[in-house]
Amino acid sequence: MARFLTTTALALTMGLAAAALLPATSQAQVLQAAVDASPAGLDPHIITAFSSFQVVNGSIYEGLTGIDKDLHVVPALAQSWTLSADGKSYVFKLVSGATFHDGKPLEAADVVASLNRVLSKDIASPLASRLAAMEKASAVDAGTVEVTLKEPSAPFLTALASIAIVPRAFEADKDGLQRKPVGTGPFKFKEWQPNGFIELEKHAGYWNKGQPKLDGVKFNIIPESATRQVGLSSGQYALLPNIDAATALQLKGRPNVKIADTLELAYTLVGMNTSKPPFDNPKVREALNYALNRQEIVQAALFGAGVPGGPLSPALKQWALDVKEFPCFTPSAAKAQELLKAAGITTPVAVTLLVLPRQDIRDIAQVVQAQLNKAGFKAELKIPELGQFVQDWRNSNFDAFVSTNAGSIDPDDYFYRTFRTAGSTNVFKYSNPEIDGLLDAARIETDQAKRKASYNRVQSLLTCDGPAAFMTYGQLFTAMRTNVSGFDIVANRSLFSLSTTMQAR
Amino acid sequence: MNFLRSRALDLAVVLFGVSVLTFLMIRLIPGDAVAIMLGANTEVTPDRVAALRSRIGLDQPVLLQYFSWLGGVLSGDLGVSLWTRRPVSQEIAGHMWPTLQLTVLALIVGAGLSLPLGVLMARLRGKAWDTALRIGSVAGLTIPSFWLGIMMILALTTLAPDWQLLGYVPFSEDPLGNVAKLLLPAVALALPILANLSRLVRSAMLDALQQDYVRTARAKGLSERRILYRHALRNALIPFVTSAGIMTGYLLGGAIVVEQVFAIPGLGRLILGAIAERNYPLVQATILVITFAFVLVNFVVDLLYVLIDPRVRL
Repeated sequence: MARFLTTTALALTMGLAAAALLPATSQAQVLQAAVDASPAGLDPHIITAFSSFQVVNGSIYEGLTGIDKDLHVVPALAQSWTLSADGKSYVFKLVSGATFHDGKPLEAADVVASLNRVLSKDIASPLASRLAAMEKASAVDAGTVEVTLKEPSAPFLTALASIAIVPRAFEADKDGLQRKPVGTGPFKFKEWQPNGFIELEKHAGYWNKGQPKLDGVKFNIIPESATRQVGLSSGQYALLPNIDAATALQLKGRPNVKIADTLELAYTLVGMNTSKPPFDNPKVREALNYALNRQEIVQAALFGAGVPGGPLSPALKQWALDVKEFPCFTPSAAKAQELLKAAGITTPVAVTLLVLPRQDIRDIAQVVQAQLNKAGFKAELKIPELGQFVQDWRNSNFDAFVSTNAGSIDPDDYFYRTFRTAGSTNVFKYSNPEIDGLLDAARIETDQAKRKASYNRVQSLLTCDGPAAFMTYGQLFTAMRTNVSGFDIVANRSLFSLSTTMQAR
Repeated sequence: MNFLRSRALDLAVVLFGVSVLTFLMIRLIPGDAVAIMLGANTEVTPDRVAALRSRIGLDQPVLLQYFSWLGGVLSGDLGVSLWTRRPVSQEIAGHMWPTLQLTVLALIVGAGLSLPLGVLMARLRGKAWDTALRIGSVAGLTIPSFWLGIMMILALTTLAPDWQLLGYVPFSEDPLGNVAKLLLPAVALALPILANLSRLVRSAMLDALQQDYVRTARAKGLSERRILYRHALRNALIPFVTSAGIMTGYLLGGAIVVEQVFAIPGLGRLILGAIAERNYPLVQATILVITFAFVLVNFVVDLLYVLIDPRVRL
């Protein structure tokens, strides 16, 4: 019996090993990408998870407008538009020849239905507030859409880039698109094996002739970073989009691997609760700013891959103020102590920092803790599980928190919901009438120079004694095999350039 | 027949208890599905939150939610996933095969190799080889599968860079690829089982070899081989089968971690994701299915006793 068992086991092992070493069949021109999380649904109007956006935006779905790699608003499904003199009515001309993945041509009625769908209470779309300025959309003819606004809206064209156009048949359908997306984009949905992969194939009738170059894209869902790295090194995967600095550094210099990078729009921050001591005192908030050494944070926690930054990403060259304009960006523990003394507070000031449970943020929080403790604070870290973090964060149940805030290409998106009195994510409970006035005015301002002046002022007001100590903007990386070309990394993490991506055999 | 009836009753009680516990526990974790869905960075007004909550049925009292869910389960409807709106039964069916295959493969490797290894250790008792194997088995018990998995992945990329070892392909699509991809995770998963069971077989064998019937057999002049495999091993099999059955349950737990490392879309990945996103119906149903499997395995173990030892009556 033992001989039998041994022989069987041996034969089994050898057979399996032999099977394992057989060369795998190569798939022609289907780009193998590896991402860390499974999409949570594919309906572009319902999804909130980044893992979902990454797969559908720009590849399956398109909006009327788009964002190019230099972060400018460009035509997409609308080839051109005009704005009425009072700034309250847009007329969009649709591109000709666009079809949905189900074969039906794109018409103005589909655009109208999509906009209405986002605003519908039944769908409960988290994007609805982006269209808050919209009064009504109507089809002028099959190729023309008119959108009237309640008031002029400067960020409206940017917002439209995030609103996917779906077939009108789905206007009242809450569930259909979650599993089987139907868009106009360069790739159409082929197969989704939850937690396994999601595969897209070429949309043969794509209106932008000559694209896409690939026959398809397969997003393999690989939660472990080490596993993704190994897969890229061995050539099993050709693209790791939007990876962090630690992973990028480990992959740098590996044979047949190249790295692309760009500066992020999202920033890291220490958010402070302005409704209770000690951070209800602007002097304490300023002291915290002086206590931070942002360059040291970049070096210690981001592996040098990032820059200190204020309220807007330095990637938005046309908007962001230079950090030299912010006095508190010159770190000084002495100045911090002095400010605390001036605020009449006995040091050390005990504070608890609520930390977003993500590796890079945890690293940053530890550096922040050490820096604060040198400057008159006694900081304690609290790192809860994500669900708990979100709950405490939403309920402003913190002294201060260390986290990251998403960016956008328009300053209105950065500021209005976050820093305006009673803004939907103003968890700082911050209220500054001057900022409120500036944000309201800039939102409906169509003169670019005046708008810029307003946001300059907002940036100065927010920095140093505002509710958030802005810290760093990280470098965003994408790793790919050297035979991949035509892929552009974009600061908003969109993968729209998959349509021009090629892979040599 | 009595045995079957009492077992079915046990099963029902266990499943009911587990369902209540899971239902309550997942809801006790702070941060509900809506909070996670909306995350920390989205722009949402309270009425949209309310609309979302009612859309997925979380606006009902918990007790009501439980009974409406239980009613569904009893009529064969496990509910729909909160995020993808796919029926939960479909999600589970789609994720079941990789885990099942992985578990069976690990059981073949672990339990299969542990028998000859254990017998070998018993025969070599006290010799240097026995000591080496025992030290090895302690290592096998203590090294966590996920660490071993990562080390195996790293080692293999250097040794066999062309082995496309990550992910999963269904057996029906590519049988060889399927086994190739599952082999490594199965080994990582099997190692603790192998270590545990081989130690068990060793001591059971040593125990059996000291029994009177072995002395009798020796006195009759039977060959050592015959004594070992016909007499001693057979008696050592009962504790082996019991342990192997329990191990199968642990394998399901270990699979959760190993699936994560090797990117295998099995029940483990499904349940981890579902807990993280507070996908209540999915968590509840998956745990129920795993419990069911666990109980089923124990039942099969009981049946095996009869085959191994004719004296056992159920």
